Amino acid sequence: MGPLSRDAWAQRLGAFRASPSAFMAGPEGEDLGRDLLSDLRSEKLSEQTKVSLLALSMEYPAQLWPDASAAEVAATSLLDTLVLLPPRPSALRRPLLLAATTALAAGGALGPTSGASCRLLPLLLGLAAGSDPGRGFVPASEQRPLQATACECLRELESCKPGLLGGSLGLLRGLLGQEGPVQPLSLLLALALRNTLVLQFRVGAGLGGLLTDKVSPTGGGPWDWTLVEEGDGRLQPQAPSWPAAEEGEGERSLTAREHSPEEARELRAAVIQLLDTSYLLTPVAQAQLLWLLGWALRGLQGQPPALFKPQLVRLLGTAQLTLLHAVLALKAAFGEALFTAQDEALLLRRLTLAAQHPALPPPTHLFYLHCVLSFPENWPLGPEGEEAAPLLLGPQLCRGLLPSLLHDPMALLARLHLLCLLCAEEEEEEKGQLPSPRHYLEELLAGLRQRAALDGGPRALATLCFQASYLVACCLAGQPTVLTPLIHGLAQLYQARPMLAPHFVDLLDQVDSELREPLKVVLRQMVVSRPGRDEALCWHLQMLAKVADGDAQSATLNFLQAAAAHCTNWDLQQGLLRVCRALLRAGVRGGLVDLLQVLARQLEDPDGRDHARLYYILLAHLAAPKLGVALGPSLAAPALASSLVAENQGFVAALMVQEAPALVRLSVGSHRVKGPLPVLKLQPEALEPIYSLELRFRVEGQLYAPLEAVHVPCLCPGRPARPLLLPLQPRCPAPARLDVHALYTTSTGLTCHAHLPPLFVNFADLFLPFPQPPEGAGLGFFEELWDSCLPEGAESRVWCPLGPQGLEGLVSRHLEPFVVVAQPPTSYCVAIHLPPDSKLLLRLEAALADGVPVALRTDDWAVLPLAGDYLRGLAAAV
Amino acid sequence: MAQRAVWLISHEPGTPLCGTVRFSRRYPTVEKRARVFNGASYVPVPEDGPFLKALLFELRLLDDDKDFIESRDSCSRINKTSIYGLLIGGEELWPVVAFLKNDMIYACVPLVEQTLSPRPPLISVSGVSQGFEFLFGIQDFLYSGQKNDSELNTKLSQLPDLLLQACPFGTLLDANLQNSLDNTNFASVTQPQKQPAWKTGTYKGKPQVSISITEKVKSMQYDKQGIADTWQVVGTVTCKCDLEGIMPNVTISLSLPTNGSPLQDILVHPCVTSLDSAILTSSSIDAMDDSAFSGPYKFPFTPPLESFNLCFYTSQVPVPPILGFYQMKEEEVQLRITINLKLHESVKNNFEFCEAHIPFYNRGPITHLEYKTSFGQLEVFREKSLLIWIIGQKFPKSMEISLSGTVTFGAKSHEKQPFDPICTGETAYLKLHFRILDYTLTGCYADQHSVQVFASGKPKISAHRKLISSDYYIWNSKAPAPVTYGSLLL
Repeated sequence: MGPLSRDAWAQRLGAFRASPSAFMAGPEGEDLGRDLLSDLRSEKLSEQTKVSLLALSMEYPAQLWPDASAAEVAATSLLDTLVLLPPRPSALRRPLLLAATTALAAGGALGPTSGASCRLLPLLLGLAAGSDPGRGFVPASEQRPLQATACECLRELESCKPGLLGGSLGLLRGLLGQEGPVQPLSLLLALALRNTLVLQFRVGAGLGGLLTDKVSPTGGGPWDWTLVEEGDGRLQPQAPSWPAAEEGEGERSLTAREHSPEEARELRAAVIQLLDTSYLLTPVAQAQLLWLLGWALRGLQGQPPALFKPQLVRLLGTAQLTLLHAVLALKAAFGEALFTAQDEALLLRRLTLAAQHPALPPPTHLFYLHCVLSFPENWPLGPEGEEAAPLLLGPQLCRGLLPSLLHDPMALLARLHLLCLLCAEEEEEEKGQLPSPRHYLEELLAGLRQRAALDGGPRALATLCFQASYLVACCLAGQPTVLTPLIHGLAQLYQARPMLAPHFVDLLDQVDSELREPLKVVLRQMVVSRPGRDEALCWHLQMLAKVADGDAQSATLNFLQAAAAHCTNWDLQQGLLRVCRALLRAGVRGGLVDLLQVLARQLEDPDGRDHARLYYILLAHLAAPKLGVALGPSLAAPALASSLVAENQGFVAALMVQEAPALVRLSVGSHRVKGPLPVLKLQPEALEPIYSLELRFRVEGQLYAPLEAVHVPCLCPGRPARPLLLPLQPRCPAPARLDVHALYTTSTGLTCHAHLPPLFVNFADLFLPFPQPPEGAGLGFFEELWDSCLPEGAESRVWCPLGPQGLEGLVSRHLEPFVVVAQPPTSYCVAIHLPPDSKLLLRLEAALADGVPVALRTDDWAVLPLAGDYLRGLAAAV
Repeated sequence: MAQRAVWLISHEPGTPLCGTVRFSRRYPTVEKRARVFNGASYVPVPEDGPFLKALLFELRLLDDDKDFIESRDSCSRINKTSIYGLLIGGEELWPVVAFLKNDMIYACVPLVEQTLSPRPPLISVSGVSQGFEFLFGIQDFLYSGQKNDSELNTKLSQLPDLLLQACPFGTLLDANLQNSLDNTNFASVTQPQKQPAWKTGTYKGKPQVSISITEKVKSMQYDKQGIADTWQVVGTVTCKCDLEGIMPNVTISLSLPTNGSPLQDILVHPCVTSLDSAILTSSSIDAMDDSAFSGPYKFPFTPPLESFNLCFYTSQVPVPPILGFYQMKEEEVQLRITINLKLHESVKNNFEFCEAHIPFYNRGPITHLEYKTSFGQLEVFREKSLLIWIIGQKFPKSMEISLSGTVTFGAKSHEKQPFDPICTGETAYLKLHFRILDYTLTGCYADQHSVQVFASGKPKISAHRKLISSDYYIWNSKAPAPVTYGSLLL
């Protein structure tokens, strides 16, 4: 196929971008990557079109070239295209470098064995150094932009393979000191330096001369991958373990890092060099530099954090989100070593100010507010990782950060959280002061409820009101002065707008019992005191299904009786039955029997009548605990909207055997070599208390006679259980797999069935000894057995490797019960009875240091390969 | 510190999807790192379609809030920052930085360099602030000087090339996209050494420095016992420095007259090289006293090429420029309103415009109006239930004007008349809109003689000032009104 036209490509790219997965699954998907590479060299396409092709390859390399080898081929092709460009200015050089870098890094092809990597890396380093790789490769006008691009490419490769540029530190530093472009070189040097410090520390090495060595690492020779390989290709996070800096596997206790005085001096000089020119970087790049250097130098001996001090005042004055965030990162990294108590207070003030400054956009305010509540304090008091008001953040500082009804929902909630934290700290004696935060909080919540109560108002207003109530309930649980008016206010809200019932149900589900129980009582009273014929009846029923319990039965039943007459449609009847169900579950019996009888006769809908009758029967026949289980939430607990399905599952759960995950584990212990049959010893272990356990076994392939089930009355986790004995009746002497099923009852009364992982019976588990011959007659007995095997049986010789314990150790460990004649340490005769009626005889004689030749005979030729495997595996089994 | 992907989505209520992805860009090398860093908790960046749907749902921008949906409306799903978790295909993509501005949703997914379960605190994720700057940068680029849809489309079509410059691998190099555009257009051949990365070229031509100070004043007035009126000035100093040389140094000083109000909460542009500690610590959080630093406020800096905001400040002036009251009472079928406004004598009585907007929410259209005003004219927007009192360029000599009248409304129809959750019953406000040129409320000015420029040639220096109103509310004093905590501090 010839190259596509510009329009055809535009169309194709458009189709791809609309849904890459659909496009790749289609007929054109397969060729896209190949066409793209070949059309990049087409002379018919404009540079603009080619740039758009390259842009696509930078975004979707994984789709175009799905594996490392395809990525390698693509990168090679892109590099070839680059080399073939005519020596005049072209818009393609930068994107080609970016695309080749992306293909290698994203495709996982970057490495010492990749030809494309070995071409790209020296090319990039050469470009970054400002040199021309030859023959007018870089037109003069493109030299600066390409130099910057090469630095960016190298930085990306270093990010994906830390340590790649460890050998180039000196070179980069030299370039930065000369006239290279400041920003790309600074960022590249900072990243390479950080990665090198981490990697060198891990292998216990110093920086050596890396920072002063100005020779290009390639120098015509191959690229140095040592540091990458030492690093194991592990990626380096920017802030390894903020905030819990002192724990975890990621923590490299940096206090142990030491450098020679000379290394320390060079390192400090490099850092100062980077920081001194940081003003020339864009704000976002400055922030990156600070994150990199801050966490690289943290705890490094001989590198005082005071190096950062000259930058701080300048940074604290700005409103740039990235810069203040970077200062916070420095604060987290160095704490008191960089920020005195006064500095800390100043930083917190600037943050507080930025969190409310009218000149900044709302998303910035919210992020700063989060930073205030997660402020890395020098001496934190509260638990790690939870939002809390820092100690220095007094009421005065918070004043401008408190919520009002005029805020948008997110700002309101964020500020409300702060207000709650203030209220939680408010001392009783401050009560006299005006305005009290608690009083303000109350007013605010009242305002929110008023808005939520607005008829026809959007749901978002109601949601906000309930979110605020939830937040207050979480932060100020245990403060009756807050909770009491909250409960009262919510009840009024329900009265004003019963259609908010789903929000109430949700709130009751989410909050602690401290708010839930009293709120339930108030809401129930509110609902049942109404006449049963309300236009909001469906909401009342929904609410009652949540709040109805054993208390105030008669009022509830009266309400339901009155309501029943107005439940004319299916929805309402279901709502009514749901309340009955809740009452059943709560153990209400007396009046409910009458109500259910009435419903079973009166309801218009046959389905409703059936349900009422069913409840009536259950109520009449089941004892309370069983009824609770029958109506309880089903094990599978699918969130289905239909009450019928959910209900049905409840019954099924109680009355039928449930398929359940295995709550019991079985392991095979040592087998018993006594008696006429091999017996497997099983050790059961329960994950939850289970009762009446029955274990059923099935032998695959009918190698053994069917096995009896094993019964255990009860198993509890943590309580040692007696081992279970499982006698085996082999039909032929072969190993087998046992399928295991368990049937048991849970503590909630459900009967469950579970499939356990299979058990394996090994060849050696079938071994039984022959009856012991009289003293001294052993050899004769053995010879007799030996001879009887032939001619029907089979004979073989096997080399049994010996471990360090020698032949004596091997026999005592594995074959002791079966030894008939022993002449330690060199010679043993072993006779094994294999049920049902086979024998296996072994002569282990003339052992050498590393093994022993074994002569073996059996009367059952099928045993021979099993015996061979068994003997060969013995040494390894120790 | 990098982004995995970035999106621009236009919000189109009323259409089937309620939005369209206008631009998206993925960064596969960052995605690869995310897969390694996040380990078992890794959730891949989805395709545009599913992302659009999940984001609009999470931001409540789909047109279906009729029913309670737990995954959106549950009280325990509380978002306190513009950073979301999106449910996509049963997995949660987090963190997604997103915000809506001018009907455009800006979104990106920063890289988190560790496992996501448990979620690390946002403050420890360096990519979050970078993501914000990235999105703000795109927003500034799209809306600076943009006037209509076709210009927006042009700018959107420039984005892929610009991001190739400003963010080639997902790590943002410059949030100022205009810089990247200039860089592409005029690749400077001989960039000298130590050129700041935020300055893409050098200026050639007549040296000039332009400084403009814009103050916005906002206010909440209640005219009530126990609730204090509040007001605040927010200033922005914008500069454009056309100066030759790589790094010309400039120092601008802002001064106050003797009775001027001190500047507080000063935030400066990153090009400012040093700051006096008095500037850094002067803050509205502290109680005011006479010892407050009152300038001059010196800002030494090296200017970028483009126009930029040298600093922002706030100030607490002793009195609001216009003090007023608004009384509204419901009388059977009509509302009776009385408004009184008084310009403070110290304020320059020469407006570019001045008007009072009096909206009536949650009511029907205006059917009848009778009024009497001591000054200016009244415009009636019947369908919008809005009155606009046009006061004009000057208050009369008495400095005090009033309006009174009665308004009657027709039946409410939800589509046309505005809904407002706050202004229910008699809770109502009027909002003042005005602008005064060559004036600042704080008195703050940039003295031309105090501007120091260390560059070749003597620059022409020009300075401008203006005061505009913003959120200037006067609440009905006869009904409850929303208060801030500050209003209760008497």
